[in-house]
Amino acid sequence: MFALLLFSPRRATFAQDSFGKPSAEPPNEERYVYKQIPDIPITTESGVENLSAIWREKPVLLTMVFSRCARACSPFLRSLSSSVSDAGGLGTDYRVVVLSFDPRDTVAEMEMMGRELGLGSNPDWIFGVAIPRDIRRLSTVTGFWFQWDESSSQFDHPSLVVAIDRGRLVRMLAGASVPSASLREVVQELRGKFVASYTLAGKVAFRCFEYDPNSGRYSLDWGLALMLLPGTCALLATAWVFFFRPSSRRRESLPRG
Amino acid sequence: MTAAAAEPGLWSEAELAKFRRMTLVWGITVLLLLPILALLGYFMRLYQSGAFSGLRAEWFYAVLTLHSLGMVGTWFVGSMAGVSYLLLKYARPSLAVSKFAYGGTLVGVVLLIACTLGGLFGTGWYFLYPLPLYAQGVWAPWATFTFFAALAILGVSWTIWTLDILRAIAQRYSLGAALGWNYVVGKPGHELPPLVLITTVSLIVSLSGLAAAVVVIALFGARALGVNVDPLLMKNLTFFFGHDLVNITMYLGVAMVYDLLPTYAGRPWNTNRVVAMAWGAVLFLVLFAFFHHLYMDFAQPTWIQKFGQICSYLLAVPAGVVSIFGTLALVYASRMRWTLASTFFFLGILGWGLGGIAAVIDSTVEVNFHFHNTLWVPAHFHTYYLMGVVLIILGFIDHAGKELSGLEEKASLSKLTTALLLIGGYGFLFMFYWGGVRSVPRRYAIYPQEVMQGTLYARVAVGFITLLLLGILLYLWETGKRCLKALG
Repeated sequence: MFALLLFSPRRATFAQDSFGKPSAEPPNEERYVYKQIPDIPITTESGVENLSAIWREKPVLLTMVFSRCARACSPFLRSLSSSVSDAGGLGTDYRVVVLSFDPRDTVAEMEMMGRELGLGSNPDWIFGVAIPRDIRRLSTVTGFWFQWDESSSQFDHPSLVVAIDRGRLVRMLAGASVPSASLREVVQELRGKFVASYTLAGKVAFRCFEYDPNSGRYSLDWGLALMLLPGTCALLATAWVFFFRPSSRRRESLPRG
Repeated sequence: MTAAAAEPGLWSEAELAKFRRMTLVWGITVLLLLPILALLGYFMRLYQSGAFSGLRAEWFYAVLTLHSLGMVGTWFVGSMAGVSYLLLKYARPSLAVSKFAYGGTLVGVVLLIACTLGGLFGTGWYFLYPLPLYAQGVWAPWATFTFFAALAILGVSWTIWTLDILRAIAQRYSLGAALGWNYVVGKPGHELPPLVLITTVSLIVSLSGLAAAVVVIALFGARALGVNVDPLLMKNLTFFFGHDLVNITMYLGVAMVYDLLPTYAGRPWNTNRVVAMAWGAVLFLVLFAFFHHLYMDFAQPTWIQKFGQICSYLLAVPAGVVSIFGTLALVYASRMRWTLASTFFFLGILGWGLGGIAAVIDSTVEVNFHFHNTLWVPAHFHTYYLMGVVLIILGFIDHAGKELSGLEEKASLSKLTTALLLIGGYGFLFMFYWGGVRSVPRRYAIYPQEVMQGTLYARVAVGFITLLLLGILLYLWETGKRCLKALG
């Protein structure tokens, strides 16, 4: 009871903490790719260790959730877990770190979250917490944000997984779920293979090509029609000039070749 | 006199005099812009050689933008004015449209100077999306707006000018006749001057390039309104526009050589089946060769890159080989009258060929991986521009100035001018090529420690550019005098 009295006001303050600018659009990977990830200490079941201790061994897939999340966190983690199984390579090519951004969360609560998802016993799934200042540093370089919603007593936040190789952010997947094909590409990249093309999150008008990560094939898109527009305009203008505009009265006077 | 050879009844003497005067105005404008834009290039090599260590690097990029767009624009209008003048023999381009294009060009140039030198707008000519919209505090939004306003005004003026010249051709030739289809199928038909054939092909391509610029500007507008546009599409369209405009300028220059060099060689250079087929192929191939600018964009499907390489290779044959072979055949064993103009025409074709070889090398995907971001790229385009089409257009202005003023050239000064331009020009180019081979990156204002050899090459280049500028000044003094006298 004493502990509850002692910590309640502070917890209430933490619960209302927000960070970053909320947006309906997912973070733009182009703005964050190759940024250096801060080497923050994280607390896990095995104690305190720096993130660098993990990524020095092998690349890391990092995601941020909170254990009291009643919305996207659990479905997102299930989707990530399923895609990780599909893509393979867990433990050999990379590990997954799930950090809480909610200062109320404890290591035990994060571990429990992992166990509920069937991931708790897997040593390559690391559930942990970090101090708020470090969470903010991490959020700054990954485009992550969280906004406390008083009415629902929940955080609003994007669902995001970032791939970290040798301390740098190399890829970012955003969305309510993690498509297996997209994660396979990320894993390929973490294995050091060159991935020539992938679709960025967010709406882009007039793409030239649509890339299908499942088949690795391109299909033509509406942007390519715009590429044909200049040539079409030139043909129409030429036709107008030669077939509709000229007076042909002088043509007969030309010398024969 | 070229214009005097116009078909009887096509022009009155008064009309011809007005058109010649307008051509001189265009020519003198080009001659005024040449030293200014050349000095901007001189400034950039000086900057790279460490001469302006106290000056912000943003100035380098603003000057780079003005120099590149200014040069491309100047030689485009120079070549357009040249073919308009030579077409007077066969067709009736509109003097009013030429004046309108001149006004539009002046306004566009003023706006370009304002946004670059006044506003430090420094994206390079390619203004790659979305860079103009992310100034990082270097330039103000007004500079971006002014830049696009300049592009729009230049684009509209030049499109109308292009349409007018095509209209003039269309009044005398059907489309099939203007493209020499009767030569291709071997049927008798109208005699087609190569000038008309090449100009028709070039201007149709030019229209597509200018239309691409309109689409790019419209999509930039859409981005400003919040629509995310595919950067790959924007880059394709931008290089479609830029590649076409640069190639068209060269083709129009070559058209002038087809028309004027025979008057110095004393032999005709007629359209035949090979020439008609070659330029017909150019009409198709040039529209697709621009893909070689996008080899680094690995998001583009591989088949497009391969297609770009094939088109680039094929394009070199009809335009380059046929014209170079034709030039050599025309000059060989002829009673060639070597003047400043005819020498420039000949050397211009040579420079175009050399730059073309360097371009074909760079259009090979495997080579491009190594050369793309090095000084090899400015090396090759300066070769076919500076030592190619620029010499041809300077040759044309000198030719016209002499014809219209009646003043003869001094042979010794012509030789000295040619020698200075050749030594200075090719020396300057060699330092670019050497830098490319030695991995010196392009578009660097200041070279980092890893490629510090670039600073030394820039210093050597500055010496050659000094000789080049002396040659330009000598040319301006002599040719400028003739043009001013002709202008009255």
